[in-house]
Amino acid sequence: MKTFGTAQASALFVFLLLSGCSTIPPSVSAYGPAPSPLELEDTPFYSQQLFQCGPAALMTLLTASGVVTTLDAVTAQVYLPARQGSLQTEILAASRAAERVPYVLAPGLASITGELAAGRPVLVLQNLGVSWAPRWHYAVVVGTDLENRKIVLRSGTDARRITRTSVFLRTWRRSDFWAVTTLKPGELPADPDRDRYVEAVAGLEQTGHFQAARDAWRAGRLQWPNDAVIRFGLANTEFALGNFAAAEGLYVDMLSEDSGSLIARNNLAMTLVALGRNSEAREQINAALNIAGDSPLLPELLDTQKTILSTFRSALN
Amino acid sequence: MRSIMLRNFVVRLVSLSLLSLGLAQASSAAMIGTQQAIQSEAREAQISRVETILARADVAEQLVKFGVDPLAVQERVGNMTSAELLAMEGSLNKQVAGGDAIAVIGVVFLVLLILELVGITDIFKSV
Repeated sequence: MKTFGTAQASALFVFLLLSGCSTIPPSVSAYGPAPSPLELEDTPFYSQQLFQCGPAALMTLLTASGVVTTLDAVTAQVYLPARQGSLQTEILAASRAAERVPYVLAPGLASITGELAAGRPVLVLQNLGVSWAPRWHYAVVVGTDLENRKIVLRSGTDARRITRTSVFLRTWRRSDFWAVTTLKPGELPADPDRDRYVEAVAGLEQTGHFQAARDAWRAGRLQWPNDAVIRFGLANTEFALGNFAAAEGLYVDMLSEDSGSLIARNNLAMTLVALGRNSEAREQINAALNIAGDSPLLPELLDTQKTILSTFRSALN
Repeated sequence: MRSIMLRNFVVRLVSLSLLSLGLAQASSAAMIGTQQAIQSEAREAQISRVETILARADVAEQLVKFGVDPLAVQERVGNMTSAELLAMEGSLNKQVAGGDAIAVIGVVFLVLLILELVGITDIFKSV
């Protein structure tokens, strides 16, 4: 079997290397309606220390978003020493800590150009190497040029790195086109996607950033006025901030549109407890339990009933 | 040896304190959160409070093992959602860590150089 010579072997080797890099789908490489060229020249630059492109890129993004912090503080939030890098989840978590909405963009150049046109730089995860020798790298896109097929980045120790769009797309695709921008609470993304926005704000709410989440839900309500989850989110953050009357109004609104909403009735009952209206709270939770059946929310409803009963008893004593 | 023992002790202490913190939060909660509403809307499995608490303790422990200051770890995991914590539970070493680290020598370097010249990679600054 000497027919398989060195030339064929190397050809096969190169083919195998390249075969992982099929063409980029047009939906991803499309530029979108944004003006070109486009560059956010005022975006600050923080040169990275060894292995610390994550902190530097996030620092750039947060500062551009009006957050006052230091590179040391951001490093302490996202750098993982034994991994010599930063995890995507921690980039999102640290954005929440800075009271910003970490909005993960839909894959595609158009998402990036849209955000740039709105004045927001975009943090991206690239693999500058290949799948078998990865070099994962965070950078911040600050500019695009459709005519000359260029992308401008704050990257590593380069304040203004210019990359060919084709190369950028290839290095970016290896992270499944992961890109995130930080919205100030109350700002909407350039191309608002309901599910992505709701997920981002719910994460902010779940981690206890109620004021920021409340403002973000309000902005969401302007964009999607009839969305039940967004109204619910707004009500929940009003409750968490102690604005019980506002929360009550929103839960009642939800129930007037969908009287079978167990989540709204449960939280209305809890709000009434907070307002000291225990008998009304009991009516509400009993109404919810009557129609709950074998809903997965049953444990929560029973929990609420227990809370109401114990409040009731301590009020009698 | 002693420093490893000390490290393990700190790790346990941190996870224990996080566990008790989580339990304290859970006992006062009868409100249904928005994330839970989204999960039922999408018919996804509900993540229970206990699952979240255990995952948070696990991720915190892993972060400390990977060199995070035990004093900073509480805030770091505190800003992660239940879904993120569950996704990272027991698998922190498998997550992508963006940080430019690369270890290549000899022939691999040459191959990378060729890939760079034909525009597949973008590792080297001045090629």
